[in-house]
Amino acid sequence: MEQSLRSRIGSVALPALFAVLLLFLWQTQLLHRMLGTDTFVLPLPRHIAQILVDNPVKIAENLRATCSVMFSGLAIGCLLGYGISVAAALFPKWGSGGLRVIGAFNAVPIVALAPVVINLTRDASDDVEVRSTIAKTIVVALLCAVAMSIGAYRGLTDLQPFAEDLLKSYAADRKTVFLKLRLPNSVPHIFIALRVIVPTSVISALITEYFAEHVIGIGRMIRDNITLAQYATAWAYIVVACALGIASYAVLMLAQRLICGRRWRI
Amino acid sequence: MKKKIGLVCALVMMAALLLASCGGGGSSAETEIGSAEVPEAAGGSSGAGAEGAYFSADATAEEVLTAAATEGKVGNWGLGNEYELLALLEKYGLPDKFVSQAFDMDGFDEDSVLLASAMTYNELGLVVNSYEGGYGYGDTVKWIDMNDEGVAMLEDNLFTTREFAEANPETVKAFIYASMKGWEYAAANPEEAAEIVFEYGSSVSPEHQAYMAGEVAKLVDASVPVGTMDEAAMQQTLDLAKQYIKLDDSAAAEALQALTLDDLRDTSYWEEATASADGSFSPEKTDVKIQLKWLPQAQFMGYYVAQDKGYYEEVGLNVEIIPGGGDIGETTAVKNGTVDFGVTWVSNLISANAAGTDLLEVAQVYQKSGLVMVYKIG
Repeated sequence: MEQSLRSRIGSVALPALFAVLLLFLWQTQLLHRMLGTDTFVLPLPRHIAQILVDNPVKIAENLRATCSVMFSGLAIGCLLGYGISVAAALFPKWGSGGLRVIGAFNAVPIVALAPVVINLTRDASDDVEVRSTIAKTIVVALLCAVAMSIGAYRGLTDLQPFAEDLLKSYAADRKTVFLKLRLPNSVPHIFIALRVIVPTSVISALITEYFAEHVIGIGRMIRDNITLAQYATAWAYIVVACALGIASYAVLMLAQRLICGRRWRI
Repeated sequence: MKKKIGLVCALVMMAALLLASCGGGGSSAETEIGSAEVPEAAGGSSGAGAEGAYFSADATAEEVLTAAATEGKVGNWGLGNEYELLALLEKYGLPDKFVSQAFDMDGFDEDSVLLASAMTYNELGLVVNSYEGGYGYGDTVKWIDMNDEGVAMLEDNLFTTREFAEANPETVKAFIYASMKGWEYAAANPEEAAEIVFEYGSSVSPEHQAYMAGEVAKLVDASVPVGTMDEAAMQQTLDLAKQYIKLDDSAAAEALQALTLDDLRDTSYWEEATASADGSFSPEKTDVKIQLKWLPQAQFMGYYVAQDKGYYEEVGLNVEIIPGGGDIGETTAVKNGTVDFGVTWVSNLISANAAGTDLLEVAQVYQKSGLVMVYKIG
């Protein structure tokens, strides 16, 4: 017990120490000397923090736009992906082939997918804000659905040896096999998939904003400010993007512990 | 057996996907060709009645702007290209909202943007003309000119860093001398200039390149010496920049308000370069690079002509022209020393200097704004 406590402290303290060291090197410009750069491209932490403090309303507005796209895309994508995997598991004959095709979506870069989806949804609404949000959400949902369907399909079909045979020997019907065996078996796989999906949803939301018609979002602000040589402001938004990524991952880990805690080990 | 069926399913679905994507591509190409040939038909089909689907031919700039802004269909590319539009919107008391416009004119063609930003030498030509890549609207479109509206800001210039200029004054003068010679020739012979640019890796068709060269020649303005840095036009650009460039970085915003023309440009290099009769300089650095703001096209024809005609060689320079495109920040490239010279819009130079660069304009190639807001009539 004591040892685990010590190792736990170590696992928090070491990264924290590293972060403090990095910030120290950064603020004192030793980092700039090491990287051969200057405070224009890599502004000092205090300068970046000042911008964060000065613009709470604007940052909140952009963060809200990014979050709404990210979370709705994540939710829709996960439900869709899980639905696909259930269908694939129920109809294994075409299921594995279908998933192979869906897996191909994984290879399509977001930068290629985003403009295509934005062009396809031009007629979705007369309101540019609405159709931009729809386009961005579709991109996030598509990418999440792909990862979820592949992950969950594994959970639904990769059963304990003989577990399915055992249930069949009890004369269990397909529905019972699904509810009692496949569904519970897929839960840890869902979380494994989510570990990939949550960061994917953040990144795809940020990048899709680059191409959207409506100018809003953390990702868009990063890109626009870099193009305009406003690196300090771009860094401020990069900090926000990092915080969003870390926070959403932390929430996922917490949810995993609460839901999987005793029954499933990952 | 199971595996085989799975594989077959995969193949069938793949084929379906391919077909679907081909179908989409095909149909979009069709509409493009259709609208290029008969623009009236496109107008008729989108509105309830064929008459009055778009703006009236004698509508004033204010009427057009107000109507398009009310519908939320005013377009611009953003990324520092929007300040003139913002000034125009404020001039007529309209909200400072615009739609992010793509780098093609499909949004304008499909009416998702009713009042679109266009450069006279590029997008406007694509909208009006019916050569390859054009939309062929001919005289069914009109446009609002920033110069007429009094909200013009200076665009393509030639800049370096103050540090580089002070360390290599002869190189700077030699480069200005040869470049302006190239621009002078190009402005006088736009057709030949277009052909030269096309040979150097053009991003557009030869017809469009020729059109562009003609329009750029107008912006260069043969009535003044090429590269003239007009005080009044520069001051108007700086004043508008201070009003419409919004920076979240309070330190940079403060620096922006404190900027004067002397922080942005130095006319002495250009004056000494143009005063030279024979162009004999002794450049400190002979291998130099220039970063363009965009893809190779007649927008930058002066530099390509100078290269092609050997003007750079004559002054003892070995010049590499580096095309831009997309997210390449020419201000950052020059500031970092990746390149020695750059072409940018004065407003972009202003915001970079506000953020802490020490960029220095050494010549102003375009004397007028090339930005217009284009709309359909009828």
